[in-house]
Amino acid sequence: MSLPDRIDPRPPRRIYRWDLDKTYLQTEFDSLRDLLRTAFQKAHEKQAVPGASALIRELAENGDSRLCIVSGSPKQMRSVLEEKLKLDGVVWDEFVLKDNVGNLMRGRFRALRGQVGYKLPAILESRANAPVEAEEVLFGDDAEADAFIYSLFADMVAGRVDERVLTQILEAAAVYPDEAERVLAAWKKIPVSDPVRRIFIHLDRLTPPAHFANYGPRVVPIFNYFQAALVLLADGHLTAPQVIKIAVEMVQTAGHNIITLSNSFQDLLRRGLPLQQAAAALVQALEGPNALMQALRPMPDIISAFTKRLAALGTPPPPPPVQAVDYLELIHHALPRTHKARKTQ
Amino acid sequence: MATKLVTIAFDVMGSDHGPAEVVRGAAQLSLESPHIHVLLVGDRALIDDALAETRHNGERISVQHASEFVAMDEKPAEALARKHDASVSVAARLVAEGEADALVSAGNTGAGVLSCARHFQLLPGVRRAALAAVYPTRARHGDKADPFSLILDVGATVEATAEDLVTFAVMGAAYARIISRNENPKVALLSNGTESTKGPRHVVEAHSRLAALSGLQFIGNVEGVDIPKGTADVVVTDGFVGNVCLKMLEGVHETVVELAQYAYKESLRWRAGLAMLSGGIQRIKDITDWEQYGGAPVLGFDRIFIKAHGRSKAQAIANAGKVAAKAVAHELGTAIQQGLAR
Repeated sequence: MSLPDRIDPRPPRRIYRWDLDKTYLQTEFDSLRDLLRTAFQKAHEKQAVPGASALIRELAENGDSRLCIVSGSPKQMRSVLEEKLKLDGVVWDEFVLKDNVGNLMRGRFRALRGQVGYKLPAILESRANAPVEAEEVLFGDDAEADAFIYSLFADMVAGRVDERVLTQILEAAAVYPDEAERVLAAWKKIPVSDPVRRIFIHLDRLTPPAHFANYGPRVVPIFNYFQAALVLLADGHLTAPQVIKIAVEMVQTAGHNIITLSNSFQDLLRRGLPLQQAAAALVQALEGPNALMQALRPMPDIISAFTKRLAALGTPPPPPPVQAVDYLELIHHALPRTHKARKTQ
Repeated sequence: MATKLVTIAFDVMGSDHGPAEVVRGAAQLSLESPHIHVLLVGDRALIDDALAETRHNGERISVQHASEFVAMDEKPAEALARKHDASVSVAARLVAEGEADALVSAGNTGAGVLSCARHFQLLPGVRRAALAAVYPTRARHGDKADPFSLILDVGATVEATAEDLVTFAVMGAAYARIISRNENPKVALLSNGTESTKGPRHVVEAHSRLAALSGLQFIGNVEGVDIPKGTADVVVTDGFVGNVCLKMLEGVHETVVELAQYAYKESLRWRAGLAMLSGGIQRIKDITDWEQYGGAPVLGFDRIFIKAHGRSKAQAIANAGKVAAKAVAHELGTAIQQGLAR
């Protein structure tokens, strides 16, 4: 009997797509001073959003997923960003950065701030190489256009957007012709399926959650990654002990406590996310003998805090209805935050 | 030293501007004060609608559904007897049970005081709770140079005994020490003359008791005219007189504003004069703007209750929450007890 000369990795069952700044990293780039400070920060000086690295590590635990990062940070920062990810124990499969210097040299100033023409082709090209059955969960933030781009990507892959509308969207988003061509070319390579399960938007700017209501229940604005973990528990991506591990990291490293965690849990319930079973699974895991859970003592207080927040609501509201997204109506969401048309919204 | 985490329960219902304004104030608090957590009590659907549209920090806010509320025009005792799930009553119960550390309400004052009386305990040595009010004054008070003095009682106890007045003085002084950072507040009795023998019997008796009390800077009697001057940091009276005084002062303020508006419309010359004075007028407006003060405390219970004005907008609600949190963090109840023990 001979051994095979190579072992191919299993095709990914799930793909997790992450933005970096304000989604994984606590980055400030609102002023020139912020930009300069960010550019010269060393890897160990960069701060991850509490719970983000723990969440990524737990999602990778199952071994059948891919982590694809598409960031608007410039390519010149690759080494420091990679070092930061390694320091946090994050292993990635794809890591795309923006060619800002190239854009500058070619006088493509719109591309410096524009997100649609950069991120949309990048994630479509990545999807074109993925197995058709692979599910996707995407993570972004409220600083730029992540909710818009991710939702558009999901609906394009699912065949819910037609080419005529897409062309109008790309035109309205001021996408350069070559970027639009890349979008169309990659899109045509992707077999129609409906892989996107969730889009999490980290509320870095504390944008009111209702701002994202027009994207439907697939988009879940989150105040922290414990909330994302709870939804992913309900969606079957994580187990209850994994969620508790993430909570432990947030408690130990970022000053979270029973009140912030139970409030975060109730916030999702109030928005109609069906988390009752996830709560029951958490309670069961907390009552188990696992040594890790000792870090979250006193156990009865945690269970009681969650149970009280659940009971406080009476009958939880129904989940928000699924709806078609009118991208042309929401086109201002696709523009850079500094754009005049977006500022007036 | 780490700031103590404090949870403030807000009765969301029953204010003049409806639940959205209270929710906005609490949401503002969740953004501005990381050590303050907010418990919103009221109709969950209305609260959620308002929250969804407002910038807030969801980690610092929780909601308790209450299906009923007491309206401004309802008789408190009757309404609370009929409405077992009234938001103000539920909020007071949650504070009493330790789910929150203090209560803020902009709703029906009587219902708020009655709910507290039912769920909270009076501090040892306190026979009657007192509703205090802050009133803008010419003089500044305490380390923070607060432009207001405290008047109490303004309506919780209509007829106070000499003993009650002494208790009010101690409670008011403790509040001024904590909230205005006024280490040695000047306390005065409201009477119809500055002499110690002036006034009804209970005021004369209270005067002699206060004069003998250690740890209190009792400056004697003041007259009504001294209230807006800010002669005292704490003005002590009974609820009947206090309420009449307060309403009259509010009436004078409103009349002055109306006269200014009349003058503005009436003559171009007066309008020009007002325009020249606009900087000064704005300063007076800032000083007399009750929205800055956050609300009035009900003193004497073992828990904190801040009664915000019924017309409170978001800023006033947020300020009321901050005042409540400060009273909790500095253990106002303990400070009052220590004062009474002297």
